[in-house]
Amino acid sequence: MKGYVPLSLLIFLATSAALLTGQVDASPGVLWSGLVTGEGPGALILDTIRGPRVATALGAGAVLGMSGALFQMLFRNPLASPDILGFNAGAGLAIIAGIAFGIAMPTAVMAALGGVAMALVIGGLAFRGGGGTPVLTIILIGIGAGFTATAVSTFLMTILPGTTASEAQRWLTGSLAARDWSHAAQVLGIGAMLASLALGQARILSALELGDGLAAGLGQRPEAARWWLSATGVLLAATGVAVAGPVPFVALMAGPLGMRLTGALTSAGRMVSGAGAGALVLVLSDLLARVAVPGLQLPAGVATGLLGAPYLLWRLSREMERGDL
Amino acid sequence: MRGLFLACLLIGAVAMSLGVGVRPVAPGVFLEALLGYDPRDPAHVTIAAIRLPRTVAGLAAGAALGIAGTVMQSLTRNPLADPGILGINAGAAFALILGVTLFGRSDQAAVALFAFPGAALAALAVFALGGGFRGDSGPVRLTLAGAALNALLLSLVTAVVLVRQESLDVLRFWVAGSLTDAAFRPVVEMTLVIGLAAVLAFAIAPLIEALSLGSDLARGLGTRPLRAQAGALTVVTLATGAAVAIAGPIAFLGLMAPHLARMSTGYALRPRLAVSAAYGALTLTLADTVGRLVLSSGEVRAGIVVAMIGGPVFIWVARRLRPGAMA
Repeated sequence: MKGYVPLSLLIFLATSAALLTGQVDASPGVLWSGLVTGEGPGALILDTIRGPRVATALGAGAVLGMSGALFQMLFRNPLASPDILGFNAGAGLAIIAGIAFGIAMPTAVMAALGGVAMALVIGGLAFRGGGGTPVLTIILIGIGAGFTATAVSTFLMTILPGTTASEAQRWLTGSLAARDWSHAAQVLGIGAMLASLALGQARILSALELGDGLAAGLGQRPEAARWWLSATGVLLAATGVAVAGPVPFVALMAGPLGMRLTGALTSAGRMVSGAGAGALVLVLSDLLARVAVPGLQLPAGVATGLLGAPYLLWRLSREMERGDL
Repeated sequence: MRGLFLACLLIGAVAMSLGVGVRPVAPGVFLEALLGYDPRDPAHVTIAAIRLPRTVAGLAAGAALGIAGTVMQSLTRNPLADPGILGINAGAAFALILGVTLFGRSDQAAVALFAFPGAALAALAVFALGGGFRGDSGPVRLTLAGAALNALLLSLVTAVVLVRQESLDVLRFWVAGSLTDAAFRPVVEMTLVIGLAAVLAFAIAPLIEALSLGSDLARGLGTRPLRAQAGALTVVTLATGAAVAIAGPIAFLGLMAPHLARMSTGYALRPRLAVSAAYGALTLTLADTVGRLVLSSGEVRAGIVVAMIGGPVFIWVARRLRPGAMA
């Protein structure tokens, strides 16, 4: 448990910084009195302005991070995360389609449907009779599917009326602007359910990491277990996308970053630290995007893109040196 | 025979591109405008001031991307290489928007010059990061390096557009290109640059072919790998930079055109370059025309039409890669 102290501390610090900083900076004292008395500017910030936004960022980052850690373990490849594999783009496309065709369904449901549909399409395309498909092929197919989904999303945006389109564009970049407590409750509630579901499968995931043969020897059914784990991971990612948009690279970075911070080695530990690291990354990115340009709020996705791209390049060069790629 | 077929297709696409739109123009009117241009006739003005630049831009940018894609695929021995996927388009686009920010949009041709250093830096970066100089850039590595570069540059473009408080349309143009405003872009100058790139590509085609056998074998054949790589990167930079300056970042065209070409030409590089250029021009012109037709009001930008076809093509090519060729 000791390993989780630095990560928790970092999350606490990032959350505090995100609550204190903004167009109008608040002192810790003001915030504290707002928290205790429920009145004054501190309470306003906590209740309506920054509180829900930060809570949503924490929740969305956590589910994305956990999903990333899960897929990276499942595929035994640090590049296999729901954003690279195109699941996030699929969830995003479903939400845009919902807006464009006026489908009266909650965004969470649309995102989940889109993510699952995308995973099925990628799974179907990657499936080869007989031996398993190499992970790298799955990654490439996922990238291609993500490209396609993004292109169709952009197409749907051209047929939307002006104001809806600019909202949709902001959303597609990945943004946490104007979130209220219903968003936070949605991502934290559904996220908690899915997280316990994922942690319940941690033992199976550990067995799978030893290889299919060994897992079968331990009494697991590798194929079925893999489908269930994938479904859980896709739903986790979709839950995050439903409130924050398809923010790039949070899921990709969270797993390894969490492992580095906590030193966790077990499957459950890695999922939890991935969730923590994801929350940390998204809260910090959103803060960065808010304060980078005075008087202007950039979408959080711009910041995660700027942080995540160098990470991906570094990761590639490391994989290259090791000869894994 | 196939060349004739392709030429007919191109002529048909050009005729459609000139004739179709909000104000349809009958084919007979072309000839009239061609033989005796009358500036008072609105149909003639439509053709000369709007349709013609747009069609020329589509042909030139499409051909440029076809050439750039072919050169990149040969150089990296990676069938998934494309200026859009590898972030070179995004590099040119970011440099262009930076140029507009710094110098205003008064002189389009001068601002367009920014596209070339942008494209060159992005090409060098993705080539180095993807392991291109070691001659072992596997599809996954190169594609992911490109994805990272794309994400980075797209974030920067979005930030600049939002800081400048530009409209959504401006951002959309920089995300997926379009030929809508071709009349206001330096089409003539950039077409000359593309011509130059094509000539250079033809000239260095044997060097690139030797290099695609592997750098050791190329050295044995008397080719200096660095020289061939520098030449190829120059072609890619000139062609991509010019294409982005007139049409914005159009992804996947450089991926598709060489694969279409290979079906009819085999593996020799010079014919493949020529046929790829033709297919690129054909595809972009058709995509632009289709984009004008599908919606009852407004139009779908050519970049989106191409991307919606290109995504599935990417998957198709990725699935056909042999597992051993992945890394």
